[in-house]
Amino acid sequence: MQKNNPDAIVIGAGIVGACSALSLTNAGLKVMIIDRGSVASGTTGAGEGNILVSDKDPGPELTLALKSRDLWFELQEDVGDSFELEAKGGVVVARHDSSALMKLAEHQRAAGVTAERVNSAELHKLEPYLHPDLSEGVFYPQDAQCQPMLAAARIIQTVLARGGQLVSQARVTGFEISENTIKGVVTSRGTFHSPLVVNASGTWAGEIATLAGSQLPIAPRKGFILVTEPAPQYIFHKVYDSDYVANVASSDADLQTSTVVEGTRSGTILIGASRERIGFDGSMNFEIVRKLAAQATSLFPVLRDVQLLRVYRGFRPYAPDHLPVIGEDSLISGLWHSAGHEGAGIGLAPGSAALITDAILGRDSFMDAQAFSPQRFAGARL
Amino acid sequence: MNSKVNFTFNGTQYSGEEGQSVAAALLNSGVTSLRSTRFNGEPRTIFCGIGICFDCVVKIDGVANQRACLIAITEGSQIESSQ
Amino acid sequence: MIAIIGAGPAGLAAARAIALAGFAVTVIDAAQKPGGQYWRHRSTVDGYKATRSEKYFSTVMGNPLVTYINGAQVWSATRSEKSIYINYLQSGVEKRLTCTDLILTTGAYDRSLPFTGWDKPGSMTPGAAQALLKGHGVIAGKSIVISGTGPFLLPVAVGLAAGGAKVEGVFEANSPLRWLRSPLALLLNPEKALELLYYLKQFRRYSIPVRFGKAVTEFTGHSVRISDVNSDMTIKKTNVREIDCNVIATGWGFVPDITLGGILGCNQVVDKDGTVVFSVDNNQRSSIENIWIAGEATGIGGSDLALAEGHIAGLSVIGKRIPFSLNFSKFRKRLFARALQVSYPVNPGWKKWLNRQTLICRCEEVSCGQILDSVEELKAEDARTSKLFTRAGMGLCQGRICSRNVAEIIGESKELRVSDSERIAYSNRPIAAPISLGTLGDGISSK
Repeated sequence: MQKNNPDAIVIGAGIVGACSALSLTNAGLKVMIIDRGSVASGTTGAGEGNILVSDKDPGPELTLALKSRDLWFELQEDVGDSFELEAKGGVVVARHDSSALMKLAEHQRAAGVTAERVNSAELHKLEPYLHPDLSEGVFYPQDAQCQPMLAAARIIQTVLARGGQLVSQARVTGFEISENTIKGVVTSRGTFHSPLVVNASGTWAGEIATLAGSQLPIAPRKGFILVTEPAPQYIFHKVYDSDYVANVASSDADLQTSTVVEGTRSGTILIGASRERIGFDGSMNFEIVRKLAAQATSLFPVLRDVQLLRVYRGFRPYAPDHLPVIGEDSLISGLWHSAGHEGAGIGLAPGSAALITDAILGRDSFMDAQAFSPQRFAGARL
Repeated sequence: MNSKVNFTFNGTQYSGEEGQSVAAALLNSGVTSLRSTRFNGEPRTIFCGIGICFDCVVKIDGVANQRACLIAITEGSQIESSQ
Repeated sequence: MIAIIGAGPAGLAAARAIALAGFAVTVIDAAQKPGGQYWRHRSTVDGYKATRSEKYFSTVMGNPLVTYINGAQVWSATRSEKSIYINYLQSGVEKRLTCTDLILTTGAYDRSLPFTGWDKPGSMTPGAAQALLKGHGVIAGKSIVISGTGPFLLPVAVGLAAGGAKVEGVFEANSPLRWLRSPLALLLNPEKALELLYYLKQFRRYSIPVRFGKAVTEFTGHSVRISDVNSDMTIKKTNVREIDCNVIATGWGFVPDITLGGILGCNQVVDKDGTVVFSVDNNQRSSIENIWIAGEATGIGGSDLALAEGHIAGLSVIGKRIPFSLNFSKFRKRLFARALQVSYPVNPGWKKWLNRQTLICRCEEVSCGQILDSVEELKAEDARTSKLFTRAGMGLCQGRICSRNVAEIIGESKELRVSDSERIAYSNRPIAAPISLGTLGDGISSK
């Protein structure tokens, strides 16, 4: 196929790849996006579109999340209002003992998060259909949501309109590398030359690194999302129980579930956040589905009569320390990674894109990205 | 056999034969729309007739999105158009 | 323990074979009465060999070896090494049936193609008109036009006419001359000629006009527009006739219902005509050792083939030898099913009938234009991605009606063949029927 050699190649047409491509394009580079499937056909296509600050402990990930959240709204200005971005706010409900949640909220406030402690009356005003026994929580007005597949598609559309290229159905099979420097990407649809490659391939990021003769400890973690029939508006924010906060940082391989419940513009209700770390086994686990349903109906009893329509499964890429990997490869120069965002890829994508673009161009950035560096795994046994 | 069953649809009294589905009894009574669609407000009624297409969904005794082509009418049941 | 899901011809034939051999079997079915979509229980209308079902009903119902669970909507199934667990809803309560061997006879439903006005009340499938008539004693409308392709249009037309409706005409898109391509199938199935003669006689009796090479391409709510179509289904001459009617029944063959077997992990293949079916061995055994599949879910073939396959599956489950005569019977009926595929194809030209406003996804009200835009602007390349962008196929029916059409519209716009893996992907869904979150979360109390 006839394609002009680009200034940079982004592997992955999911949300992280799309944001990286747009950020590089806006910095003046000609970008080519390559994907093994089509736009948003991986983890992005199986996500709820969470843009959360509420579920993060103070630290580099929270700093990234806060910036990224603001960048989402700038992105909307750049790309156009077309991907259902909404600052709907998050409500975290304390199920039993609220002390851990309140302590987290206090630390988050110190780090710049708006986290309002709400009593029973305020909680039920925010969410009138919540179980009456639930009496305490924290309201996070910054939490937002978008339609992630539309977002990726609209961003890529903008990249293409600004001179970028998209090569879909192209599986990466290898790299052209000389003297530990990247020269090009070999795919099932031909070889494309570029001195700069961004690996934004999500769950496949480890495999891509291996193909380049390097390594990256990214593993898939399975997540289920339950989708109900269209229902009247029962849920007004992203509502989750405080177990979820503890769960995200868990490295326990056993199944854990905690619930995030939210409504969508189409009227369907999404129930998600089960986390189970197993390989690429796509099979259905009805026990998780039952548990998620039970937890959702214990938060919102009104959901008992709402019917489940569909369950979708996605694989969330994560690194052993649960931080994203953003930066240049430890062995191959010109190969950059932006992957391992786990369940937070949508929320962290614009910030990650800004970090990687700044690093590539040698510009100062809004934060020190050292904590995300691929170097942290250099020499580690995988 | 085939005794008469009374029910209401959107507040109006109707009747059908025992064993008939909600959709069949209403169609037989001349009701040509069971609901309006969510986005365009278009009328809909039975399409596949065997529970596959979900076009004929109605609220039956408070439970939403029931397939009118599958559920038999029962005495006194209150059926409403789904929103 | 042997279980059968489905009480249509295939399921009843399997149950009969098992019970007659002295084995116990449980038949679980969604309907209140046995017979499936084919044998509807009100015999207000005679059809060809309508009494044949009695043999099956009588040996199966009231037989102490047969447990019959009716009104049971199976929503999911799982399996362990030796057992299969069938989760079903009966009167709003979730129950579980555990078996060691399972026969799936989940049947099929009408395939629908979109056209302008197919979403208006009065437009329905022939199966709906048939179910209303035979199942509920209701004539779908006073004046009815029947259109589409396939032999199923004939009994529907005759049934409606006999029931008192004015059948304004049957418009079959394909030419009857296509049958000349299948001489062996006709030769080996002489009884089919008798069936045809029966229907021709009925058509004369009720003065039902039959026209070939024509299709309904628009419904206004009170009239249809008929077009002349070529063999590739493109329109030769549009709006050659307008007929007043209040019901238009259109059907384009059938879609096998493969959801449950898919959830259980049985291997599927794409048939020549693009339908996704299960791959089974000569004894109807699926890729999973203790699951057999018979009837339409292994390939659309009609009730005669379903009866033979169900019989074979029943014998195979209990370890009995399949008699040669039964195998031969299946062979010639399979040959006839192939001939049906050849004689009544749904060729790709139907997409030329659509305009940008034509509704494709009935549930989420997605138009043809929106789907084309998702390809053009958002770079969707398959039904799944387009669905994520447009919501086509995401509604209550979960794409059962539109997903194949969406995939084929996208394929044509990109000048690509729809791949087998995509066909299998859009044909499967993780849940077989909706279940309330309350029931789901409560779990099954008594095992």
